[in-house]
Amino acid sequence: MPMAEKILEVKGLTKYFDVQGGFLKKKGQVRAVENICFDLYNSETLGIVGESGSGKSTLGRALLKLLKSTSGEVVYKGKNILDLSDTNLSLIRRELQMVFQDPYASLNPRIKVGNTIAEPILANKMVSTSGQAREKTLKLLELVGLRPEMYERFPHEFSGGQRQRISIARALALEPKVLVCDEAVSALDVSVQAQILNLFNQLKNQLDLTYIFISHDLAVTKYISNRIMVMYLGEVMELAPTEKLFSKTFHPYTEALISAIPEPSTKGKRKRIILEGDIPSPIDPPSGCKFRTRCFKTMKKCKNVHPEMVEVESNHFVRCHLYDARKEA
Amino acid sequence: MANYLIRRILKALLTIFVSATIVFFIIRLMPADPVTLLVDPKMGPEVQQAMMQQFGLDKSIGLQYVIFIQQTLSGNLGISFKTREPVTTVIMQKLPWTLLLLFIVVTLTLVIGIPIGMLAAKKRDGLFDKFINVLIVMGISIFIPFLSFAFLYFFAYYLKLLPTGGAYTPPPAKGFDYILDVARHAILPSLTLFIGNVATIILYTRNSMIDVLKEDYIRTAFSKGWNEKYVVRRHALKNALIPTITVAGIMIGSMVGGAVMTETVYGWPGVGRLIYDSVSSMDFPVLQGAFITLAVSVVVMNIIADLVVAWLDPRIKLGG
Amino acid sequence: MPKLLEFRNFSMGFKDDDGTVHNLLNNVTFDIEEGRAVGIVGESGCGKSVTNLSVMRLLPRSAVIQGGKIIYRGQNLLKKTDKEMEDIRGKDVAMIFQEPMTSLNPVLNIGFQIGEVLKKHRPDMNEEQIKNAVTNQLELVGIPSPEKRLKQYPHQFSGGMRQRVMIAMATICQPDLLIADEPTTALDVTIQAQVLDIMNRLKDKGSLMLVTHNLGVVAEICNDVVVMYAGTVVEKGSMDEIFDNPCHPYTKGLMAAIPTLSSGKEELYSIPGTVPLSNKFSAGCRFADRCSQYFDLCQDKVPPTRQLSASHYVQCWLDFERRE
Repeated sequence: MPMAEKILEVKGLTKYFDVQGGFLKKKGQVRAVENICFDLYNSETLGIVGESGSGKSTLGRALLKLLKSTSGEVVYKGKNILDLSDTNLSLIRRELQMVFQDPYASLNPRIKVGNTIAEPILANKMVSTSGQAREKTLKLLELVGLRPEMYERFPHEFSGGQRQRISIARALALEPKVLVCDEAVSALDVSVQAQILNLFNQLKNQLDLTYIFISHDLAVTKYISNRIMVMYLGEVMELAPTEKLFSKTFHPYTEALISAIPEPSTKGKRKRIILEGDIPSPIDPPSGCKFRTRCFKTMKKCKNVHPEMVEVESNHFVRCHLYDARKEA
Repeated sequence: MANYLIRRILKALLTIFVSATIVFFIIRLMPADPVTLLVDPKMGPEVQQAMMQQFGLDKSIGLQYVIFIQQTLSGNLGISFKTREPVTTVIMQKLPWTLLLLFIVVTLTLVIGIPIGMLAAKKRDGLFDKFINVLIVMGISIFIPFLSFAFLYFFAYYLKLLPTGGAYTPPPAKGFDYILDVARHAILPSLTLFIGNVATIILYTRNSMIDVLKEDYIRTAFSKGWNEKYVVRRHALKNALIPTITVAGIMIGSMVGGAVMTETVYGWPGVGRLIYDSVSSMDFPVLQGAFITLAVSVVVMNIIADLVVAWLDPRIKLGG
Repeated sequence: MPKLLEFRNFSMGFKDDDGTVHNLLNNVTFDIEEGRAVGIVGESGCGKSVTNLSVMRLLPRSAVIQGGKIIYRGQNLLKKTDKEMEDIRGKDVAMIFQEPMTSLNPVLNIGFQIGEVLKKHRPDMNEEQIKNAVTNQLELVGIPSPEKRLKQYPHQFSGGMRQRVMIAMATICQPDLLIADEPTTALDVTIQAQVLDIMNRLKDKGSLMLVTHNLGVVAEICNDVVVMYAGTVVEKGSMDEIFDNPCHPYTKGLMAAIPTLSSGKEELYSIPGTVPLSNKFSAGCRFADRCSQYFDLCQDKVPPTRQLSASHYVQCWLDFERRE
């Protein structure tokens, strides 16, 4: 698929969190995201899936420099945005926006939603007068499927789905090129989730957006993404175009993840791979391959050698010792 | 555990050191010169000089501070300006009286306050709870000297049931009569302190109990078939006591020397009264000693409260 | 098949601060047959959790029962005394809650928390027997080295392990009816698979009432399905009937709105609007204002419940073909 040009290059992005030790206490480290490398192509939707501890949300925030990364680069328009000073960053951050999971928490309850959207437009001098800002806001409201009279209302007067529409309108106010959506539909009811997913698709076509869509729900990610990146304990396990990831799954973790999803259908049940044990803590991840403690295909090598990312087929990357030979061949 | 205690004790020593320093300087900021009180103008200049030397008042403030810290660390709190006795001796005379009062008040407060708080929470918004809420507001907001004078007027002056002040009727009686006499004297100061403190304890117990009763695990306990009495006792009580114990620790610690008004009004010969007297007589060393005693007791009670909380709550790891 | 639990026109609501009662559940009627697993499906605010708390009679203080019956083995649970309910809870009817993180008491060890179910309902057992029974039960739900785990506290368990503890606790007296309220919603997908596996193994020992918003979980475990919307049962039937032949516009919409692993890239069907709040229900069909096949009658009159087959019922004004 990726014939399009690269819009974002991520190289060796790493984020460690220090665990607070108290008075006279040793510190620990959470290895939230480790050595993430991928390219984001113009107009694609890259899905990032993972369970808790996978580091998917940390990655999303680190990409936009909402968190200070430990090391690595995020190259946008030829510049490493992690190195940019704050003044230069604000110009670029305008083009990289984020939509969060909880529309309740990310809107100020005492500010009219219209002003919430208009404020960044004025602050970034996208327009010169407040009248123009209002006009632009009204257009944005219409774009996300809200009526113009909703400009004057407060967040509590909206339902969860409508609030997520407001969050999206606010993110779109600065005319971004890339939208990072972090669990953007997870808090919504099923019937509303479909509305927002459709809205994302519709906006993408209308505004030529590129998405990074972070979710724990593989079915939702499959529906919306062109490519999917599967993460486990801070590392990318598999990265492939959506169709290929499902038709030709390489990594045992991806395989287990796909088989673990209960399908709402009466048509014959698939054979399920049930992984044993719990997800290890990212403070103390297993040696070698991080997935080996739960893997049903684990080998001797997995314990000692950390597997590298291998391009097993064109555009299909896997981090697993089972496929080492393919690289050498 | 040992590790935790060492860390806690180091922290405690730091706290005490800081409070001793603050006390030292604050006392010296008072708008009065102890020298004028200490030395009699009729004394000759040599005698005056000798006296100033004896108390170290001829040295600079900085030096005085260094000496003060050195002495304090070796357990010597100095000599009282007024009685010329060592400060430790003075405080040790008063401390038992304060501890007696404290023991009575704390026992009553916890034994009465916690069950009332629990009951109010269980019958939340009922008549009993509303009544208790009014009492809590009154108890917390009442002005202690006013309450004390009201008690004195009513019980001691009007009804002539109880003594007006002191801890015993001099000369002290012997044996059981003495105990009875002290008990009669302790009633009013205990009652006064009890009223202020029990309100706090009821408030904390009630509120934390209400919060705990809303927890999911309480519903789980009910879903097993147990009745309310059992669920409250086995599942809610321990959780609800955690904040109460922290507050009680602070309350107990601050009562050592913190009951200045109560002890003064009733002439109770405790550390609080000692602070009042030392302020009026500018007896710096005693004042310092009393405040350090107060700081130590607050810190110690805090550690004890933390240990009790850690014992109740397995989530708090003392090892770490 | 004999009926284990019957909801008969059960209605209840919540009192607000002014004392006005807002109806939530309206004439809820469905059965749970012996040995069957029934899925109660719906979105937030549809009253599915209140439904199962009603069975346990563990509703919050502000709840007001407005009518109907909940019949367990021929006896109306709503007429039982508190004492009688205590004997039923945990022994005949047990419950697993949604949040394994907050549903266990943080200051009591796991062994005690499971053991106290037996202490309540099995006075014939001594401490030693209880301990053995608890150890066996922990092993049954797949907790490794159960004996060591007895003395541990909830914070020493992961989310998945805590949910196993909850299952062990709820099933230790072998209840006839197990109620599970969103038992896997708070869990990761691979952990959910583990828990569903355990539930599938245990469900044959009695009846199961599984409350969830996840149709996939229902398909995995249940025999019968009850679809709820805004406090009413809009459709009920066997798993096949509901999944392969959904009739109510809401059920149809719900099925179409979920992206699944087998669905394509075409636009998802979406139900317009959002779930109404309980003080804004319409007098007629509560789904009327979001319905694609709405007509005048819907807004004003509560639709009749139509029987489509021996087990398939729909509450709707539309005409459906009856099937046998």
